[in-house]
Amino acid sequence: MFPACRAEHTLRPPRLVPELLGVRPNPFPDQGAPEPGRYSDPVPPAPPPQSSVAGGPGDRDGAEGPESSEPLEAAARTRHLDQVICEIGAEVERRRASGDLPASLESELDALFLEFSPVGLQAKSRMRQTLALVDRSAYIDLAVPVASRKVVGRSLKRLIKAGIGWYMGFVVHQIIRFGWSVSRLFHVLVDRVEDLERSVERVQDPGMPSSVVPRLDAARQWWVPEALRAMTGVGGRVLHGECGNGTFVVMLTERGIDAYGVDPDAQVGREALDSGVDLRSEPLIDHLELVEPGALAGIVLTGSVQWLPSGDRRRLVDLLSTRMSERSVLVLQSMTPEAWSTGSSPIVGDLAPGRPLHPETWIHLLQTCGFATSEVFSGGQDRRIDPVGPDHPGATSVNGAIDAVNRLLLGPEEYLVVASR
Amino acid sequence: MAVTRIDQVIPSLAGRDAIGGHALQLRDLVRSRGYASEIYYGDATADRLEEGLPIDRLGDPSSNGRVLLYQLSIGSGVADVFRERSERKFVNYHNITPAGLIEDWIPEVGEEVRWGRAQMGDLAAVSEFAIADSRFNERELQQAGYRSTTTVPLLVDLASFEGTPDRAVDRRLVAARERGGTDLLFVGKVSPHKGQHDLIKALSVYRRLYDSDARLHLVGGAISDSYQDAIRRYADELGLSKAVELAGSVTHAELIAYYANADAFVCLSNHEGFCVPLLEAMYHRLPVIAYDCSAIPETVRGAGLVLPDKSPGRVAAAVDRVVTDGRLRSELADAASDRVEAQSLDRVRQAYASAIELAAAR
Repeated sequence: MFPACRAEHTLRPPRLVPELLGVRPNPFPDQGAPEPGRYSDPVPPAPPPQSSVAGGPGDRDGAEGPESSEPLEAAARTRHLDQVICEIGAEVERRRASGDLPASLESELDALFLEFSPVGLQAKSRMRQTLALVDRSAYIDLAVPVASRKVVGRSLKRLIKAGIGWYMGFVVHQIIRFGWSVSRLFHVLVDRVEDLERSVERVQDPGMPSSVVPRLDAARQWWVPEALRAMTGVGGRVLHGECGNGTFVVMLTERGIDAYGVDPDAQVGREALDSGVDLRSEPLIDHLELVEPGALAGIVLTGSVQWLPSGDRRRLVDLLSTRMSERSVLVLQSMTPEAWSTGSSPIVGDLAPGRPLHPETWIHLLQTCGFATSEVFSGGQDRRIDPVGPDHPGATSVNGAIDAVNRLLLGPEEYLVVASR
Repeated sequence: MAVTRIDQVIPSLAGRDAIGGHALQLRDLVRSRGYASEIYYGDATADRLEEGLPIDRLGDPSSNGRVLLYQLSIGSGVADVFRERSERKFVNYHNITPAGLIEDWIPEVGEEVRWGRAQMGDLAAVSEFAIADSRFNERELQQAGYRSTTTVPLLVDLASFEGTPDRAVDRRLVAARERGGTDLLFVGKVSPHKGQHDLIKALSVYRRLYDSDARLHLVGGAISDSYQDAIRRYADELGLSKAVELAGSVTHAELIAYYANADAFVCLSNHEGFCVPLLEAMYHRLPVIAYDCSAIPETVRGAGLVLPDKSPGRVAAAVDRVVTDGRLRSELADAASDRVEAQSLDRVRQAYASAIELAAAR
């Protein structure tokens, strides 16, 4: 498609006479015959359509117009721009040769951008690069070099090459076939992996903006007294996961409990951090991965724990079972599934990666890692409708309906599970 | 039966959108030729609500001299409504981005464009005539099974750029220019298939080899936060956070200011069905440098440098050439003016009128 650059081209474009670039309008240039060279259609047109507007402006055969000099002007312009393109190519080569534009620079720019690209794209690039290496390695060159500084050496090597060439050829042919078969297998596997990655990325929800995630301020939470009571007397360090502004950590330490907190948002706890409260800015699960087994006597879980995706939830339960000591206490606060659609912001409700569980489900999950549940508390806003009095007409059926609505949609918005082992 | 009205059906009638603007121009053209004409949209931006009617106002199917023309550029339920209608059907095709260029970054848009491609095939059987913006697009129509096709470019009112540039943006850009440095411009949605990351690579090399004060202005709203974040972080990592401006979606007056204060327009898109900003740049007599793909060579058509690849070194060398070679710049500006003249709204209106009237008269 692009013209080969002639070696003898001048470094500067030939001066064009202004007429060559002057206005010579075609009635409708886009509909004219393809220009020669770069601007012609890269592939022959498909079988000609039955143009319903024959002779009209859309008819590519009929709109070239009478100006016979225009193709010449267009061709001159095309030639000149081709020349400029060639000179730009020569400039790039010159820069590369001088070391101004090292070959590695462009690949480094590509590699750097891959770091900011979706995982699938990164893996695809790296897998394809590796495959290219495998493909290259799968070929064995039978043309053994025979060069030698000594004439005798070269003759000897040629003799050996000729003598065992038939034998080596037979063996190498089979090895190459084997190598290519293995390489083909890798190609099939990479194709399959890419298909799977695309499928996974397609079903992923868009990320939830951090601005809509509610930040905990324990000063206004109904469950604080129960959680404080549960943690009083634990014999070791207590972690508050997703601790928000650190208020509850302060409450714990004021009661003599060795407490600290973690929260993924560094900003929300900055004030407490500045005043000496032990807060770390990292995701809860990442933090627990680093904690020594059996190091924690108590954990308080609040915040996005309630909407963890199932894989993260399973990982969290596993970590609780190993990172908490014997006779430890766990407190978990969550919204109820019934309140999820009405009690959370619409964006959180729609985009959170998981959904809150019923307290019974948490109890079940915690039992699998050795926790016995001592108490479950309900709290938060309670929007249950009061039943009507017995004198109300149809009181029985109305109250039955109210019970159903209360059970399915209303009731306390949150619960607190206290478990120990 | 004689055609008395030609109504358009469009998934989304949006302001600051080439296809939305084209639909309005086409409606006015059709009305000026004596046909009744309305635009029926699936949704519309606030500034376009009054320019058309919701799709559910299409009314009962009728064959009394009515033609429906569908603006096809994305997958939409509106296409299914259009397909089921009993009126005569025309399609105006603006191309659909191949899913492979976009789905790694924005899977949901990948699904939409796949859907659009499927609908494009479905509509071939029920549409008696289709108009493409470019020959590149027309070939796709033919490959999809459309029997009767033609090519007429988008209706773009470049005269609207005669307006006054936004004063605040203009002042800021002028002040930056006075401090020195080349200003490169690209206008288009911030999207992986538009290749803004390739522009940043090219800027990085250009600053290293030719002009350490050069700046890149990327004008256009983002269709993907993930991609926009990535290019922002990429620019930061390369130490270009102050040199790369992500201007976002801008007003028309602001856009005029950006064109007025640029030294070159650089387009490294991987896919364009037409690319209106190329014409806009030519209207402003800006040197155009573009990567050779899809309909780009057709739109540039000798009025800019079309590069065989977009390696950062080559793009940087091309920018340096147009910036430092005054004669080339002048020649490109003249060629751009010719191109704009050939693509003037009056000419394209004539072409559209002929194409539609001949097809309608069959």
